[in-house]
Amino acid sequence: MSPARTGSGAGGIVLETIRSRRVTRSFTDAPVSDEHVRLLLEAARWAPSSGNRYINKLVVVRNPSTITLIKPFCPGVLGTPTLMLAICTDAQKGAAEQVQLDKDRSVWIDIGMIAMNVMIAAHALGLGACPATSFSRSAVSAILELPEWLTPDFIVQLGHPAAVTRVMRPGVRSRLSVEEMTYWERYATTANPSDTATKP
Amino acid sequence: MTKRLVVNEVDAYDLLAHLVASAEICRFEPHYYGTFRLIDAASRLAESMLKASDRDDKWLREFKREIDQKKVWMMWDREGYYQFLSEVPANVAREMKRRAEEATSQGSREARTPPDAGQ
Repeated sequence: MSPARTGSGAGGIVLETIRSRRVTRSFTDAPVSDEHVRLLLEAARWAPSSGNRYINKLVVVRNPSTITLIKPFCPGVLGTPTLMLAICTDAQKGAAEQVQLDKDRSVWIDIGMIAMNVMIAAHALGLGACPATSFSRSAVSAILELPEWLTPDFIVQLGHPAAVTRVMRPGVRSRLSVEEMTYWERYATTANPSDTATKP
Repeated sequence: MTKRLVVNEVDAYDLLAHLVASAEICRFEPHYYGTFRLIDAASRLAESMLKASDRDDKWLREFKREIDQKKVWMMWDREGYYQFLSEVPANVAREMKRRAEEATSQGSREARTPPDAGQ
């Protein structure tokens, strides 16, 4: 069995990074270093792209004045990140690749895969990250002076995490178990048929 | 309750931006997100009011703190979140009533005080 499956070695580190990542909504004022920005963009670059089409473009926003300007148009941004990564869809490239932007779900999936790579990489680098889709695309486009064929579809908020205490009511869970989100082989079969531990 | 409260231009525009952006995205987000946008706007307004006030408004500060703590329950504790939403207006109403009564009694005191009193 590979190290990744047993949770040891390099695979274990990857799994632990995935397990321990949480959304960060509060950031310190400390800027994200150039080297970290480069590594985050590198992680984005390695995300899979449906059909190898690569119809996404990234806009890096680090200027505090620009972030201050963008933030009120992003109701989904609750803290103040020091870095914003806008993942945009390029309609011109999409048209060239014959992508039906309004019908093809892979367009959104590609954006999600880029975002996830960036968020995992951010966590591995000790940074905090939070996805945002709740923002005014028209306002963000205007502020970033995007051409009409480039639509900002997703913003990854990034920065150094600030210490916060999450208050929850007793007994409230925020994450589903594997059993709650998984069927085996067919609908409504919740037990793993090859799980011998449950067999008499 | 009639005191002039000056919210600065930047804060006012920020709230304006939040409201118009929320109105736009409420067209396609789940309906209950609208409640979140409004209660979040209340928190943002409270923050501006705190900055604009010339005194430390403990009630408002606590009100904002509680909103910020519980608004995010929308994401993992809908029942607790809705319960909180149902309690907020009464909380604000009680405070407004208290302030109105305080202003009335202050007005009565001023009305009862002769113009030359204290001279």
